[in-house]
Amino acid sequence: MDISEALATAANIMLLGMVCVFVFLGMLVLALKVLEKVAGGEVVPAVGVVPTKSNIQVDANVTAAITAAVHKFRQTKSND
Amino acid sequence: MEGLIKLWGDTGLANFVPGQIVMMLVGALLLYLAISRGYEPLLLLPIGFGCVLANIPAAGFTDEGGLLWYVYHVGIETGIFPLLIFMGVGAMTDFGALIANPKMLFLGASAQFGIFATLFGAIALNLVPGFEFSLADASAIAIIGGADGPTAIFLASRLAPDLLGAIAVAAYSYMALVPIIQPPIMKALTTPAQRKIVMEQLRPVSKKEKVIFPLAVLFLTILFLPAATPLVGMFCLGNLMRECGAVDRLSNTAQNELINIVTIFLGLAVGSKLSAEKFLTVETIGILVLGAVAFSIGTASGVMMAKLMGKFSKTPINPLLGAAGVSAVPMAARVVNKVGLEANPHNFLLMHAMGPNVAGVLGSAVAAGILLALVG
Repeated sequence: MDISEALATAANIMLLGMVCVFVFLGMLVLALKVLEKVAGGEVVPAVGVVPTKSNIQVDANVTAAITAAVHKFRQTKSND
Repeated sequence: MEGLIKLWGDTGLANFVPGQIVMMLVGALLLYLAISRGYEPLLLLPIGFGCVLANIPAAGFTDEGGLLWYVYHVGIETGIFPLLIFMGVGAMTDFGALIANPKMLFLGASAQFGIFATLFGAIALNLVPGFEFSLADASAIAIIGGADGPTAIFLASRLAPDLLGAIAVAAYSYMALVPIIQPPIMKALTTPAQRKIVMEQLRPVSKKEKVIFPLAVLFLTILFLPAATPLVGMFCLGNLMRECGAVDRLSNTAQNELINIVTIFLGLAVGSKLSAEKFLTVETIGILVLGAVAFSIGTASGVMMAKLMGKFSKTPINPLLGAAGVSAVPMAARVVNKVGLEANPHNFLLMHAMGPNVAGVLGSAVAAGILLALVG
């Protein structure tokens, strides 16, 4: 192959190669963004604060239910 | 008397040719660098020893039927050793930092410019008398810029088996020299204020994301770049074994025993290619020079891309991170951390640099696939 021809081929591969690498990894960036939306919401257990938070929430619900039940019980009792 | 002459004819002293002595000294130098300097000892030690063995006169290590001939034939000519190493590297790699900040993939992509620019440079070197690199040779040399040993060996074994020894030695030497080559380039291209930029903390990444990631990478590679699937596929297999949590035994084997065993034989096989007639050529000097150029261009283009991204990004980006876009895991990330700490002693960039660093591994595997598809 002639040297100028070889240089032209090399330049061509350089351009094509860089475009391909960017396009491919760019698609991977998009895929990762989608992945974050689909699977990223899950809480990492290592954080530690979150379970306590959810415990409090459950406790609050239970408390509310008990309070309501007691309240209703007392009301029905007082009606008697 | 006749017996004595015959015995003398079988000694090393009678059979040495000067080239073999020079190559044994090269082997000794590699052993010295590995043992006393700690430069990539896991690879340079077996490579150096393989080099010594391959140059023993009349021992026939590298002749057909010799030990090193078999090791090379089975492991490298077939491309199996680098692929097994890649599986182990996959099993050792945590993609969390990259999944948390996917933009870093662009840094890993731009650092591959070192590869393609060197391809051009290698062809241009043909203008100098004494050099005759074909397009396949030039591609195999250029991949040194990816700073990824297994990828370089895989591509060289496919495209330019004759140059394999010099390419592997150059690739691993420059990976060992990352802490010396990169910092001056990084400092020349950034201002002290830019080096002080503090990055935002990375978000936590769920296990589900880490398990799906290798599958997603493999899926994209299958669709768009099947030529890269040997490298990427083995890498993803190793990573999936690590992240899924169901096969800890396999994951441990891949990242410890298996990779260690393969490393011993890979090193020996590469060393066996360092025979005097193949290594002591003007082309080797060209390969060593081109390798250094490839590496420097890769580092520089990574830093420039990080600066460019920093201009458009909502969150600040420290341009030093770009230098980690050449693979050389985790050395390049450590260098970024060190240079960052020199500018701002409270700025730890290590975790942030792991993102572009592992992106660089993927990037160079993709670049290797592209070169295989275009040139192979």
